Amino acid sequence: MAQFRLQGSRVLAVDLAGDAVKARNGSMVAYTGQMTFKKLSGGGDGLRGMVTRRLTGEQMTVMEVQGKGTCFFAAQATEINLVRLNGETLFVEADNLLCTEAGLRTGTTFTGLNGMASGDGLFTTKVEGSGWAAVTSNGPAVILRVSQGMPLRVDPGAYVAHTGNLNRSLKSGAGWTTLMGEGGGEAVQAEFTGEGLVYVQPSEKITFGGDV
Amino acid sequence: MSYPPQPTLPWSTAGQGPVTYDAYSLPVNDNVNPYAFSVELNGSYFLQKGKMVAYYGDISFQGVGHGALDRLLGQQFNSPLHASDWVVAQGRGKMVLADRAFDLNSYDLDQGNLTVRSGNLLAFEPTLALKQSIIPGFLTLLGTGKFVAASNGPVHFMEPPVRVDPQALVGWADCPAPCHHYDHHYMQGVLGGLRRLTGLGGASGEEHQFEFVGAGQVLLQSSEALMPERSVGQVDAEPGVPGGGLPQQGYQGGHQGGGQQLPNLQVPGLGNLGDLGRRFGL
Repeated sequence: MAQFRLQGSRVLAVDLAGDAVKARNGSMVAYTGQMTFKKLSGGGDGLRGMVTRRLTGEQMTVMEVQGKGTCFFAAQATEINLVRLNGETLFVEADNLLCTEAGLRTGTTFTGLNGMASGDGLFTTKVEGSGWAAVTSNGPAVILRVSQGMPLRVDPGAYVAHTGNLNRSLKSGAGWTTLMGEGGGEAVQAEFTGEGLVYVQPSEKITFGGDV
Repeated sequence: MSYPPQPTLPWSTAGQGPVTYDAYSLPVNDNVNPYAFSVELNGSYFLQKGKMVAYYGDISFQGVGHGALDRLLGQQFNSPLHASDWVVAQGRGKMVLADRAFDLNSYDLDQGNLTVRSGNLLAFEPTLALKQSIIPGFLTLLGTGKFVAASNGPVHFMEPPVRVDPQALVGWADCPAPCHHYDHHYMQGVLGGLRRLTGLGGASGEEHQFEFVGAGQVLLQSSEALMPERSVGQVDAEPGVPGGGLPQQGYQGGHQGGGQQLPNLQVPGLGNLGDLGRRFGL
């Protein structure tokens, strides 16, 4: 059973006892003990996943790390958030997924036009099962709870991941003033309704709707 | 002035899970973590375009210059020159603000004044009035209320008299405006003159400072990487108005962290030879 812990806030330490984790290719910064690193083609989802990822553009180069000891992972000094899954599903952009326990299933899922307009692409990565996953964010993520009667709207550029049973829909804050160059700066928003948690980073990616 | 909260690690590494927030547990007008600030909105709030990352409740964002806001703007937003960078959030709810993972701090002004670099100011309560400072690239807030400013690294407070590096300056409160200070030695002699004219050789990069005197506080960021400048627009050409009619790209614009600290480099049209030009009556 791999043990995930944070070493500081930007380095992930995983204690392995002969078992394996899947991590983003090249994200290992140090290890103790004996480790083997094996590149998994196509995001480690098998042949079908490989084809899907190629087709959907939700590409992920993943390696399998197996051994005894402690392995340290980091990605460009971004903050690392540990997510414990107990049978829930984590939806995360492939760019933000750093490491998962080998027992978790990863795959791609269709987010529809919502994703496209926000610049996140049509597809997103899905992580299912029980175990630990590590998600990166630019600045420590703020975790916001969504429940019935308490919907949340998020700037698509600041969205990192979400868990639980959430509906995501795109809302437009744009009006006729946007066309005149006097928009509110928040023309595209993603609305989350249902029950779950949304991870939001304190920074914004450059997105299509970002400057409108 | 209230001091900003001490930065803490986002959450402990052992055992307990990460902190989750909802519309009720989000802090009221306080930092969520050093990089995110939560505003409880009931009415209106001014913020820089694109700095909202998430919100609960019913909030609308309107560009400054919108007809319905004219009255509010006339009273509180007296800096129309860069109006297109600002947005008014209106409604009820909780709103999380952030800016490229820079450190955010909130400050309370009580019948005070504070001048801040235009790129660092993120949001402010409408009880404050925003005006353009006569120092190019800076904005002044007047009145009573709270505002949020970003900095590259935590902010430090200094008491005048103090000389600061231009790139580390975030702003100043309740004290007279800074003046330029050049190390005298650096200007002396033939070599000094040559250096001044050509910008070549011998500079340590710290010969030029801003000097503050009087009573008040000076805010410094803990790095010399400038925040990207926000254009504050063009001041009308008028006798006696500093920078009037000229593009507002003084010492801090366009030279991001480049250590460009030599005098007389920014005379428009003449560039490096500004001083020489004046001497020869050009």
